[in-house]
Amino acid sequence: MLYRTSGQFKTTYESDQALFPVKQDALLLGVILLAAYVVFPLTASEFTFKALLVPVLIYSLAAMGLNILTGYAGQLSLGTAGFMGVGAYACYKLTTIFPEMNVVVALALSGFFSAAVGVAFGLPSLRIKGFYLAIATLASQFFLVWLFEKWAWLYNYNASGAIEVRTMEFFGIVITGPTATPVTQYYFVLAVVTIIAFAMINLTRGRYGRMWKAVRDMDIAAELVGINLMRAKLTAFAVSSYVVGIAGALLVFFWKGAAEPNLFDIPLSFQILFIAIIGGLGSIIGNFLGAILLVALPVILNVLPDTLGLTINSATMEHVNDMIVGALIITFLIVEPHGLARFWALIREKLIIWPYPH
Amino acid sequence: METLYNILIDPFVQMYEAPDFLMQVLWEGLVSGVLYALIALGFVLIFKSSRIFNFAQGIMVVFAALTLVGLHENGVPAWLAVPLTLGVMYVLAVGIERVVLRPLVGQPDIILFMATIGVTLFLIGFGEFVFGGENKVMITEALGIPTGALEFNPFGGFVLIEEKDLTAVVMAVLLVFALITFLNYSSMGRAIRALGDDHQAALSVGISLSTIWVIVWFIAGVIALATGIVWGARAGVSFALEVIAYKALPVLMLGGLESVSGAIVGGLAIGILEKLFEIYWGQPFLGGNTETWFAFILALIVLLFRPQGLFGERIIERV
Amino acid sequence: MTKLSKIGALVAAGGLALGIGVTSVAAETMYTPNMSYRTGPFAATGIPLMNGQRDYVNMLNARDGGVGGVMVDFEECETGYNTNKGVECYEKTKANAIVTQPWSTGITLQVLPRTNVDRIPILAPGYGFSPMSDGNTFAWAFNPPVSYWDGASMIMNFISDGDMNSLKGQKIALLHLDHPFGKEPLPLLEQYAEEYDFELVPIPVGLKEMQNQSAQWLQIRRERPDWVVMWGWGAMNAGALTEAVKTRFPMDKFVGVWWSGSDDDLIPLGEKAKGYKSISWNVPGDYPVIDAIKEHVVDAGNSMVEEPADMDKVFYQRGVVMSMFLVEGIKAAQEHFDVGAVNAEQLRWGLENLNITDELLEELGMAGMTAPFQTSCSNHTGHGGAWMLEWDGEKFVKASDLLKPDRASIEPLEKEKAAEYAENNAPWPGRDGLPCE
Repeated sequence: MLYRTSGQFKTTYESDQALFPVKQDALLLGVILLAAYVVFPLTASEFTFKALLVPVLIYSLAAMGLNILTGYAGQLSLGTAGFMGVGAYACYKLTTIFPEMNVVVALALSGFFSAAVGVAFGLPSLRIKGFYLAIATLASQFFLVWLFEKWAWLYNYNASGAIEVRTMEFFGIVITGPTATPVTQYYFVLAVVTIIAFAMINLTRGRYGRMWKAVRDMDIAAELVGINLMRAKLTAFAVSSYVVGIAGALLVFFWKGAAEPNLFDIPLSFQILFIAIIGGLGSIIGNFLGAILLVALPVILNVLPDTLGLTINSATMEHVNDMIVGALIITFLIVEPHGLARFWALIREKLIIWPYPH
Repeated sequence: METLYNILIDPFVQMYEAPDFLMQVLWEGLVSGVLYALIALGFVLIFKSSRIFNFAQGIMVVFAALTLVGLHENGVPAWLAVPLTLGVMYVLAVGIERVVLRPLVGQPDIILFMATIGVTLFLIGFGEFVFGGENKVMITEALGIPTGALEFNPFGGFVLIEEKDLTAVVMAVLLVFALITFLNYSSMGRAIRALGDDHQAALSVGISLSTIWVIVWFIAGVIALATGIVWGARAGVSFALEVIAYKALPVLMLGGLESVSGAIVGGLAIGILEKLFEIYWGQPFLGGNTETWFAFILALIVLLFRPQGLFGERIIERV
Repeated sequence: MTKLSKIGALVAAGGLALGIGVTSVAAETMYTPNMSYRTGPFAATGIPLMNGQRDYVNMLNARDGGVGGVMVDFEECETGYNTNKGVECYEKTKANAIVTQPWSTGITLQVLPRTNVDRIPILAPGYGFSPMSDGNTFAWAFNPPVSYWDGASMIMNFISDGDMNSLKGQKIALLHLDHPFGKEPLPLLEQYAEEYDFELVPIPVGLKEMQNQSAQWLQIRRERPDWVVMWGWGAMNAGALTEAVKTRFPMDKFVGVWWSGSDDDLIPLGEKAKGYKSISWNVPGDYPVIDAIKEHVVDAGNSMVEEPADMDKVFYQRGVVMSMFLVEGIKAAQEHFDVGAVNAEQLRWGLENLNITDELLEELGMAGMTAPFQTSCSNHTGHGGAWMLEWDGEKFVKASDLLKPDRASIEPLEKEKAAEYAENNAPWPGRDGLPCE
């Protein structure tokens, strides 16, 4: 009923291939954007911004980057956090070497650094496939974290070995550092994520997206039909690492405010991978759904026992959280390997044909 | 020139000048190598029989060791705690087969791989939930493992060999022999190898997939317990042990995913080489802690030349 | 809790999760969250300390009905010594907290700039960033009774028998955790190495290598240092001590910072670790306050200690001392502002005007447990001093008189690094108009 498509005729190929073949999709997106841009900022508390909204956005972005590589181009990567770190450290160095540089410019540039590192570590993918490649991406993970620890130039010889974000302004508004208000940071992150998500949706629907999917489904076959494998794989690594790098820079500059090398260690890589899996590989919207679930879960688990009048110590809740996430991953892989995105697609389909079962 | 000398020649001069120290380094590397090889063996066994890349092998090591220590702490004597732990590992194997593997039969490899990552996370949470997150001490004495040290004095220096490390090496060798005998001479072992060679053909001659899977996962559990005991005796039992599981991954890349001998040779090679590199190059020139990545980069370089690993079967792809 | 209010709370929690509001705490308690870690590789050393902290506050709640008649809500937030989670804990608790106890140098460094904005004092007894001592720069941060640089200075003083020039030509290895905490003493020790002409060999232990330090101890064997100074924490301590015993490093040449002196790490080694030293700003022993805790908390079943004997350990008693600093800060603020439940700003004043005297310690049943000290606007640490403890095979015993840090060499460095920090984090508010009384 809500999703009745009757009366929406398509008279050209363009309209049939449009981003929103069904009017209600566009409407729904409008509602979501309205909520994100207007409703949340008006109602959310500082805690909500810092613990839910901003992390969801940043994790979605990182998962989106990973999804380009793993979900679209079929190259499993376990080293996402390392590339996030490259983005963060590049942004840090850029803003300290050129203090006048606008933070947006620094952010956009820092993505190129992670893209370059991504391509370098992507080169073996031309020779190595499958699990071997997955393990090879771990090489980048461990090596990069080690580099962040040992290369003192990267953190400006700071005694603690951590990078700290100083206060920076964007056209007169303080957007980073401790004095920045969560709302401004949220808006900034939201804008970046919206722009990149829009770009990625178009990219994955276009020539490159199709190329990547062909490689994912069977790379030798793709090569036979004339796809340049090197180009396809390396562009996937580059685009993916670019997005992931920006997510890393956002993570440090607009959420954490400071970072130690081990922030970018393997648990973060897995966190991002889980979001991508649970959200749905090969989908853009899935990243958001996955991030919402995985970010909200520990928060809810922490609040739940109190409200039920139970006292469970916080360490126990941590463990329970790990168990639930682990079980969720297994459940999703069994029930619906395509993740939450596929669930949404099923619901939408049911809504379209409602009230008829088929 | 001097830098080049320092990097290329001086380390070898040092090795020559302090041979007792070199021997100690080699021994320490060998012991870690044995442990990497053991974990890699668990991976290989499961991969051979089911094409599942079992990421949870490392956490199974921790889980087995924790169970053993946890049981002992609760008053179970050591001679009973070991079989009980094996029982727990068996239940775990059956559980994983029923809950995780069976519903996923026929799914792409990558899905199964991710499922084992899910298992890993679940086991971390579950293990900490049951046994607590703090470090525990391995019940070395209760298990009858000697704790003294042997001292040798070659070349006027000294080399210390801990008896528990020696025990670890002996135990690993015995385990490998037992495993090879089992795989080659028992009917179950042959069935496992058959399954590894050709899934369809093995099924068609009546080999039961689920039985084999349970057995293979159980054997992986036994290996995990052995690894947990010897590594725990060296470094204590805690979830920090899972990092050694990551070390087994480059061993697999180097040795090949399907090769038992590859796992052993790869493990020993990585254990020794990473220690040599750390002591003679990493610490003086790179600020140390190179052991976290050395094995991965080494394996990566080897793979660029041999994509199937040193001992892996040649990859033949068809469209 | 009635059923109805449970439902109400559930709705409130749902609201929180959806981002509507934060649950409020009843007005007449003081919320002093502690960022604990009872799980993970650092739990073994964290648990006894956190038990001590918690039990002291609970003892006051049970015996005296709180502090100045107001109950203290000493809740824990689990961080696993993970900086990331620590910052989450800070964000989660800051709305109602009157103090933040980050329990890790890494977390301290990250929340440091935020506490200025959120106006919450940081209490980091014996840890954190050493220049925090400069209260004119770090108005909201406190690290009594001694900083890491004080500790490094006292250790160097002890191993040189009071004559730093005797270190000339010696080789001193600093075995440290590769984490902000472990890197803290480096600036001061580097300065000393230059000044007194000894060779400093920093040997980092990565978070992943804490339990297997064979590479580090091979390096020590090759370098043959005269002394090994350890800045270790968590599983690293046990790992290092085991390796030291194994490689037969002379134990009397092995000295640890105060976080490397947990009885639990040494008990398994027993006699073999005899002679190992650890500096400490509390002396273990029988104190009336421990008896009081036993009576009111442990025997009442409200403690998390596993057996009463744990209460005699150095770390447990240090936890008690840490909470004492907090409580004395609260008392000072209550007296000065003449209020019951102090708020964060008032507690900041209290911590800035701590005056721990021998008489006060006597009164608290803690005579001789820690050194007397006083904080002020420019001195947020107090620099009370510490003792060297030595492992006698069964327990730690006092092995020196009260050691005092060489403030003359530390203070300029503190000022310099504090200024550098303020510059790197410009605009840094400094005292931000807070009066100095």
